Amino acid sequence: MNIIETKDLTKIYDEGPEPVYAVNNVSLNIADGEFTAIVGPSGSGKTTFLNMVGGLDKASSGSISVKGNDITKMSENELIDFRLKHIGFVFQSYNLIPVLTAKENTEFIMLMQKQDSAIIDKRVKALLTEVGLADKLNSKPSELSGGQQQRVAVARALASKPDFVLADEPTANLDSKSASNLLDIMARLNQEEGMTFVFSTHDQRVIDRARRVITLVDGKLESDVWK
Amino acid sequence: MLLKIAWRNIWRNKVRSLVVIIAIALGLWAGVFASAFVNGLMQQRVESVIQLEMSHVQIHHPTFRDEFEGKYIIHNSNEVVKQLTSEPETKAVSARLIAFGAMLATANSSGSVKVVGIDPSKEAAVTEIDSFLIDGAYFSGIKRNPIYISDDIAEKYKLKVRSKLVLTVQDTVGEIMSSSFRVVGIFNTNNGLYDKMNVFVREGDLRKLMHLEDNYHEIAALFSDHSLAEPKAKKLADKFNNLEVLPWMDLSTGMRMMIEMMDYYTLILVGIILLALLFSIVNTMLMAVLDRTRELGVLMAVGMNRIKIFFMIMIETVFIALIGGPLGLVLAWSSIQHFAATGIDLGSSTSYEEYGFSTIVYPYLELEIYVQVTFMVIAMAIIAAIYPAIKALRLKPVEAIRKI
Repeated sequence: MNIIETKDLTKIYDEGPEPVYAVNNVSLNIADGEFTAIVGPSGSGKTTFLNMVGGLDKASSGSISVKGNDITKMSENELIDFRLKHIGFVFQSYNLIPVLTAKENTEFIMLMQKQDSAIIDKRVKALLTEVGLADKLNSKPSELSGGQQQRVAVARALASKPDFVLADEPTANLDSKSASNLLDIMARLNQEEGMTFVFSTHDQRVIDRARRVITLVDGKLESDVWK
Repeated sequence: MLLKIAWRNIWRNKVRSLVVIIAIALGLWAGVFASAFVNGLMQQRVESVIQLEMSHVQIHHPTFRDEFEGKYIIHNSNEVVKQLTSEPETKAVSARLIAFGAMLATANSSGSVKVVGIDPSKEAAVTEIDSFLIDGAYFSGIKRNPIYISDDIAEKYKLKVRSKLVLTVQDTVGEIMSSSFRVVGIFNTNNGLYDKMNVFVREGDLRKLMHLEDNYHEIAALFSDHSLAEPKAKKLADKFNNLEVLPWMDLSTGMRMMIEMMDYYTLILVGIILLALLFSIVNTMLMAVLDRTRELGVLMAVGMNRIKIFFMIMIETVFIALIGGPLGLVLAWSSIQHFAATGIDLGSSTSYEEYGFSTIVYPYLELEIYVQVTFMVIAMAIIAAIYPAIKALRLKPVEAIRKI
């Protein structure tokens, strides 16, 4: 079943003398349970594509259907609510809330969803154990390494049981060991829990682990390869 | 969670938060203390006006205060005194004879004074003028024509206790009458204006000199509470509609104006301080928002709605005000308590006394003012938070975090 469907998705920046097509008529489907990498050189439009699929950026034309909902027609407030319920994000720079502990960062979204505190507690501990941070529950981001912070970010993205996770260059700031460790965790979550992951990356380690590699060049869909 | 984040955010940049907290505390302290100082100064002046000069209510012949002539007496004085004395809230009543523009002469010099003829014990009950005695006695020890004068007059006319002087007044038909008096006591009320003007003699002595058979020029009454002055005056005016019955604040138009002016002064002072604090908070919170652009973008990206973002900034600001505000109020309260006990000496200058103010001021502020100021600070913090909070709302997640 397709979770994400884009049709003729286009993003044009026309602030300069000539309009720039960041994403140009991209139509593709991403199904439930995929472990997909969107690759391409810098400026190829992979991040813009992810931003639009995540409802963070507006498309210039075309449509984006997420679980059957056309998110291009949603208002800003509807999009915030939609993201809260359906999408998990992992950012390149981790972007944890610095004043919250690992546990608090992870449970944050569940609290916004007004979930039961006992359920939150159980899930957060399970997730942080899953990402190997059971002993860092009360550590603040500043007390964690980059790899550990990114693992907390993954736990945060998964805490609310989203329909899929969008991860932008999740390994870009990590050393080899941390990157490998993080990819192991995400691959396991994909295989064991069936969580859908969509990465934008040019990290070969991520590309090697992905089961589907979509290549964008100059905003256009260049190739779509299943391994 | 919002409260937790807001609270911890305050302490992310301790120096910045402490600076604004201290600014709020010092600003409030300055504003509240200045208000207490002005309030204390005015309270003391009001007490002095009521206690010494005006009492709560004064009753005169309707023309007396315009013409200042001895013939304008209160014809039904005894009835008025009886009525006033029968009121349960009346503390004391003093009926007086008054000779304006009287001449005080000694062997050395002469000058104009206001001679007040009193029943010493009744006058003492109203003005406590006996308590300001600094030399001699309060109408005892001299049988014939004793006179009670201030140290200012004693100094000006080179008089001592038992010194002799001559008072010259106009009687009720305009004849000039003189009689010698002997200083029985010298007082100092710390009210320069009052002391330089008034001398006291026994009512019977002045009555004889002015050829007055009965009745009085002025009846002053003191009630159990300042707030009774206006309603009581109104009630008495209705009853004795052939007389002029005025509360203390209308007896001295300058006084009412001065109190209102001081109220405005306090309001303007506190307003300026709050305005300065408002901009200080706006500046700090704006920096806090701009510093956290990326973080706020992430919060919106992961699903924190705009109302929560708005309230998070508001709560942070209110927290800062709730730390700085009480700190400032405690500082102000402590210093007011301290100086209320010791007083603030304005120095040896007599210019304050000349205008009827005491040179030692005891700051005073009512509890309700502290409560009002607390609410004003919270309101100010909420207003100050609106702009930074709106600024946070205008952030677009994708621009704030640049990319996911």
